[in-house]
Amino acid sequence: MAKSVLVVGGGPAGLAAARTLGKLGIPTILVEKEQKLGGRPVIEDYHTLIPRKMTPQQVIGPFIEEVQNNPNIDVKLGVELEACEGEAPNFKVKLSNGEEHEVAAIVVATGFQHFDAKRKGELGYGIYPDVITNLELEQMFSREGKLYRPSNGQLPKRVAFVFCVGSRDRQLGVTNVHCCRYGCALSGLQGTEIREHYPEVDVFCYYMDVRTYGTWEYPFYWAPQEKHGVRYVRGRIAEITYNPQDGRLRVKHEDTIVQRPAEVPMDLVVLVLGMEPSEGTKKVAKILGLAQDPDSQFLVPAEDAGSNIISNKPGVFIAGACKGPIDIESSLSEGEAAGAEAATFIGAKVSA
Amino acid sequence: MAIHERSLVDPERVLRKERLVIDGVDVSGDWNLIILPRVINDYDLEFLDEVLQQPEGKTITQCYQCSYCTASCPVHNYWDERYNPRHFIYLARLGLIDELQKRADVMWRCVSCHKCTHRCPKGVLVEEVLKAILRVMAKRGIIEEYPSKKFDKFFLESVYEYGRIEDGELLFGWVEKQGYQVVKDPILKKPIPFVGGVPDWLKQLAAKPLKSMNIGFLVLNAKHMLFHPRTKNWNRFKQVLRKVMEEEGVFTH
Repeated sequence: MAKSVLVVGGGPAGLAAARTLGKLGIPTILVEKEQKLGGRPVIEDYHTLIPRKMTPQQVIGPFIEEVQNNPNIDVKLGVELEACEGEAPNFKVKLSNGEEHEVAAIVVATGFQHFDAKRKGELGYGIYPDVITNLELEQMFSREGKLYRPSNGQLPKRVAFVFCVGSRDRQLGVTNVHCCRYGCALSGLQGTEIREHYPEVDVFCYYMDVRTYGTWEYPFYWAPQEKHGVRYVRGRIAEITYNPQDGRLRVKHEDTIVQRPAEVPMDLVVLVLGMEPSEGTKKVAKILGLAQDPDSQFLVPAEDAGSNIISNKPGVFIAGACKGPIDIESSLSEGEAAGAEAATFIGAKVSA
Repeated sequence: MAIHERSLVDPERVLRKERLVIDGVDVSGDWNLIILPRVINDYDLEFLDEVLQQPEGKTITQCYQCSYCTASCPVHNYWDERYNPRHFIYLARLGLIDELQKRADVMWRCVSCHKCTHRCPKGVLVEEVLKAILRVMAKRGIIEEYPSKKFDKFFLESVYEYGRIEDGELLFGWVEKQGYQVVKDPILKKPIPFVGGVPDWLKQLAAKPLKSMNIGFLVLNAKHMLFHPRTKNWNRFKQVLRKVMEEEGVFTH
C-alpha cells in the first residue's frame, strides 16, 4: 500500500504542508503549476507581508529551502494534477507530465488569484495610467524601490486608496460578495510606507468599512492615522476621471460623514483588489470532487468537521487561500495543520 | 421653476435675479433660476497641520468617528443637528472649511463638561480639540465673535485688571456689554443695579438671593460694587501676566 502524500500547490500553505510531512519522514510529492516555489508572494514580488512586516524572502524563503533540501519531498515544478481515481487511502493520481502515482492522502493548497480590476470599468483601470492596483504598488516598491506616477514618472502629491475593489460587491454577481480580508490592513501598511519615505505625500483611504481583524487594529489602522497621518475618508469612490488641464485624476465620491458629494484631485489612485479562487482551485475541485461554495467557488470544509482543513472527501485536506481569502501567516499554519492531519490519516508511525 | 423640497437646498446655492439678459436674450422669469452644485472640489490640508501645532490639538488624529462623544454630549440634545463634536473633528481633519464655517455659530456651544473626553475610547481630548479648531478658525478670521467668547473676554479683562472678579459688576457690566441701557453713577461710572433697561428676568434672578441674604453680606457686596476688591500686589503680577498673554497671543488689542 502506498504511504505517500500528494501536495497540490507550492505556495505558502502547500510549502508548509510539504515541510511538515517531510519532517515527519513521509514520502511527499509537491506539484506546482509555476516554475518557481513560493506562490503569489514570491512570484509576484510582494514588498512587505502583513502582519509581521517582513519580506516574502524572509517569511517563505526558509520554507522553500527546507522543502527543496528534504530528501523525502519530491518537488515537481511546472506540473499540474490532471486526474484522480480511487478512494482514500488508495488514490491513483495522474500528473500533467504523464507520471502516475499512488498516494494515500492529498493536501490541496491551490490558492487564489487577484481580481481583474478592468471589470470595474468606472474606476478607470487600464484607461488612465495613474490608476494602479495595490499589487502594482507592491511591485513598484519591491522592483523599483520608489514611488512614482506611471504617466510622467514624478512623485505624486496625493495618493488615494480605494478599498474593496472586487470584494463585497454584488454588482459583480454572487462571486465577489466576500470580504478580501487583507485589503484594509495592507492599505494601512502601504500608506504607512509611503508616509515614512515621502512625508510630503498625502495619503487618503476611501473606505466603506475598515476591517483590520483582531490584533491588526493598532498597527494597520490606528498607527497609520495617529503616527503617520494617513487620512481615512468614509465613502467609496464611484468614478475616476481625468482632467487634462492639470493632468490630475478626479475621484468622485460622496463623503458619507459630511453628506456631500466631492470631486477631489488625486495624482495616483490605488485599487485594493479582492481575491478570487484560482483556476487551479476550480480545476482541482472538479477532479477531486470537492465541495465548493455555490457563490464564490472557493472550496468549503466538510460540514460535520470542526476543523476547516478537512474537506468533504475523506483523505483530502484543504489549506490556504483555496478556501477563501486568508493572510500568509494563517496560510502557513493551515498548511502545517493539513500536513499533520494527512500524516495522521495515513497512520504514519513517527519514531524519535 | 419651483424648487421641490426647497428645505434640502441651501439658500446660498440658489441664484435668481429679477431680470437677466444673456447674449441679448431676456431669460427673466421661470428659466432664470440656477442652483449651484454642492460638490467639494478640494481639501484644505493645511488646516489640520495648524490644529496639530496647537498644544490642545494633538489628539485630533486619534479620532475614528465612533460618535461616543456626540452621543454623550449634553448640548447636542438641546441644540440643532449641526452641533456634533465628532463631525467638527472630521471636517477639520479633511480641511472642509466651508462646512466648518456653516457650523461656526454653534461650535461655541460646548459647555466644557468633558463627558466626551472621559468616554472617548481612543483618548481624544475632544473638548480641547474643539477649542483648538476654533482657535485656528479665529486666527484665519473665518469665525466671528460669539456671545460666549465675548463673555470670556469680559471675564478675562476683569481678572486681568483686579486679580479677581466681583459678581455684581460682572453681572451688570455684562448686561451693559450685551447692549442693554444701564444707568451709571456719575462719579465712579459704574452701572447701578436694577436701574435702566435691565431685563426683567435678570431682575428676578438677582433679587431672589438678595431677599434671603444677610445684611452684612449685602453691605459687603454693595461696597465691593463701588470699590472693586483687588488682589494684593496685583500690579506686579499683572506685568508678568501681560507678558505671558502677549506671547501666547491671547491679547488681540
